[in-house]
Amino acid sequence: MNEAVAKPWSTESLCPVCLKRISAERVIDGQEVWLVKSCPEHGETRTVLWRGEPDLPGWQRPKIPSQPPVCFTEPQFGCPYDCGLCSNHGQHSCSALFEITSRCNMNCPVCFADSGSSAESDPSLDTIETWLKSVRRACGDHIVIQLSGGEPTVREDLPDIIRMVRAEGFGFVQVNTNGLRLSGDPAYAGQLQEAGLTSVFLQFDGTTDEVYRRLRGRTLLDEKVQAIENCMQSRLGVVLVPTLVPGLNQDDIGNILRFGMERAPGVRGVHFQPVSYFGRYPSAPDNTQRLTLPEIIRAIEQQTEELMKVEDFAPPGCEHSHCSFHGNFVVLDNGKVMPLSSQNATCCNKPSPAAEGAMKSTRFLTHQWAAPEIEMPPASKAGKEKCCDCSEPPSLDDFLNRIKTHTFAVSGMAFQDVWNVDLERTRNCCIHVVAPDGRLVPFCLYNLTSADGHPLYRGKSHADIAP
Amino acid sequence: MKFSEEEIQNWKCETCGEGLVMRKVEFSYMKGSFHAELPACPKCGLVLITEELAMGKMAEAEKALEDK
Repeated sequence: MNEAVAKPWSTESLCPVCLKRISAERVIDGQEVWLVKSCPEHGETRTVLWRGEPDLPGWQRPKIPSQPPVCFTEPQFGCPYDCGLCSNHGQHSCSALFEITSRCNMNCPVCFADSGSSAESDPSLDTIETWLKSVRRACGDHIVIQLSGGEPTVREDLPDIIRMVRAEGFGFVQVNTNGLRLSGDPAYAGQLQEAGLTSVFLQFDGTTDEVYRRLRGRTLLDEKVQAIENCMQSRLGVVLVPTLVPGLNQDDIGNILRFGMERAPGVRGVHFQPVSYFGRYPSAPDNTQRLTLPEIIRAIEQQTEELMKVEDFAPPGCEHSHCSFHGNFVVLDNGKVMPLSSQNATCCNKPSPAAEGAMKSTRFLTHQWAAPEIEMPPASKAGKEKCCDCSEPPSLDDFLNRIKTHTFAVSGMAFQDVWNVDLERTRNCCIHVVAPDGRLVPFCLYNLTSADGHPLYRGKSHADIAP
Repeated sequence: MKFSEEEIQNWKCETCGEGLVMRKVEFSYMKGSFHAELPACPKCGLVLITEELAMGKMAEAEKALEDK
């Protein structure tokens, strides 16, 4: 359904108990927006979606839905039970995520994939090759391939898998990792880079060990720093990926950004993910345990002392407007940053084809999240130490040189769980998990679990998903 | 962005009749601002932006600032 012409505040969701599709309303209550839904059998739930400015009604980037060029399933039971993707889906893939193992070398209290050390056996190289061919046929070879898990680096044949991705013609491959192996083995980053790895999506929850102790159950900061250094030496682009948990690390947002910018251009950006409640988490959430996108945007402005401002961030051109924010910057050598995008770019709010946004986003990410193609000048001290002429704008020549290396992408993505899932959003999703049988399933639906832990998709065949 | 003395001397401000001189100029686009040494009239301050600069580096900077 077209975001621009749909009744703006009506949508559909799922019952957290029985996973049946039910109607839902986005209800404005003062500065907050709530998803309110009622299951005839299991009653009403109210989940906070948005708190404060920039306000949700103005946070729009309307798109005309684009059916996926190849659909592996046909509509039968209706959204969200037919994913494959089916012909009712409204967006092309910009990223395909491959779960190449369910094993992990950690056992975090919070894990969307509910991974562990005693998990099922890994998919074979032949299986992964079949997935790759299927994804290439459905999506083309220009998209982001993300190898995930579990912890992908526990597989000894990860370099072979990366080579396989590249041999299939994909230009950009990223590993989603906790960084333990990258930190412990100095040669490992080089081996992955030589195999064809482009970028590392590094779990990076904070700048103190206290954050890791509470969120991951152990100290990890030294390992993270070492992993980043090893990646930078091997010219792998690094994206810091913090899971933000209210009361735990939301006050560390500014420090995380400064930490990243000090390591630009090796660190290519920060991608914030407010905690969502699927897979493994300590207990069912109440609304105080949720952090919404505008709260993160405001925290960025406050905690960077306005180095980055609320107005520097915009809704996405690829996924549904309510799913994410992004702002792109150049880290200057005088300690300042210059914003490269703003909401002004979307002021007319004219709907554009969703597929155009997906193509643009893919082009941007495959460039931005990779290491710069030219020799990297030394890291700067953005946001920390300012030089004597910090009020002076850069020369045009300096700016044009800087833009080739020191662009820095700040983004945040709100994953959906069974309490806040909005089927209008999932129908227009562009980040798809490759299921074991090769179907493509929107990330949130693939990971979604009911209140008592039953998955909607993970571990199920298409026939088992019917409502 | 270099202009030789000879190049600058070829230009005069039509309004003031003054020969142009190199001057530090600041300009802004969207949320970016930069400076550059450009030929300008010493009397009225009018700046010469050549086609090469407008279609080259300035266009490149504009495109970067409109990223994504």
